[in-house]
Amino acid sequence: MSRYQVLKKLESTLEGFLQEAVRPEKVSIEGKRTIETLHEIAGESLRGRFINNQLSGWFSQNSRLLESKSLSESDITKVANFLGSIKSGLDESDPESIKLSEKIDDWRSRGVIPRRKLILKLKPKTGDKNLLNEFMNLLTKESQYINSGEFDNMHLLSALDDILRSAELKNDSMYAHLAGSMIYYLKANGYKVEPFVKRLKDIEQKRSERADK
Amino acid sequence: MSHPEESYGKALEALRNKNYRAATGFFKLAENQFADNLDFRILSEVTALLIAVKDEINEIVNSGFVVEEIFTDGQEAELRG
Repeated sequence: MSRYQVLKKLESTLEGFLQEAVRPEKVSIEGKRTIETLHEIAGESLRGRFINNQLSGWFSQNSRLLESKSLSESDITKVANFLGSIKSGLDESDPESIKLSEKIDDWRSRGVIPRRKLILKLKPKTGDKNLLNEFMNLLTKESQYINSGEFDNMHLLSALDDILRSAELKNDSMYAHLAGSMIYYLKANGYKVEPFVKRLKDIEQKRSERADK
Repeated sequence: MSHPEESYGKALEALRNKNYRAATGFFKLAENQFADNLDFRILSEVTALLIAVKDEINEIVNSGFVVEEIFTDGQEAELRG
């Protein structure tokens, strides 16, 4: 086997290893395990046990958890709830606990926020009976648009930029709705979204001015 | 780039997109915080090795000495340099 062939084989092996190591499904399973570990730490904390070392270790092991995008919204909520429960049990007079408490606050600032169930108590108006269906249709339309291939391999920020441009040019409220949804998601993941929020507000303002004329 | 975690996340995304050189750049930005993290070290070092291998391959290809093995009827007939 020539040197060239050996190198090509090595290249293929290394690429295979890396692709397997960063496969989303694999990262996702690791994400589930890591939530289970945090659940256990929260349980220990509730039982009044000293969990600082475990929590510190958990933070150190999972510092890239949010950026890996392996957690669903529901997983993030679970993490947030466990961290909230742990935080309430930390001894605020102990410097190490204060540090951990600040770390929890840092995660919150990056979108790991406990959420409560929102219960709507108003009965729907008769005219709104198909609103849920309309909303579902809009989500389906948005999903088909995102999966159209136009955004393949594009970073979400670049996709958002394109969609905001479409929202400016086209008379279809789907683009503004989709942009709003993406902005919310990016903000929840710690991205700076203020310029996009401003653009979306401007678009909405112009749309409303056009509607008034 | 404010968070090493963010750089690490971008490195993983770059790896998924097979953009290995970009991944190396992001790994470098995150290395201070993750020097003791075994996963991080394995991924960043394997990526660096892969790039070195790719550079070596490019060097061979660009040098004009691509060794091509010629087979005739299943038998090696000659080696061209």
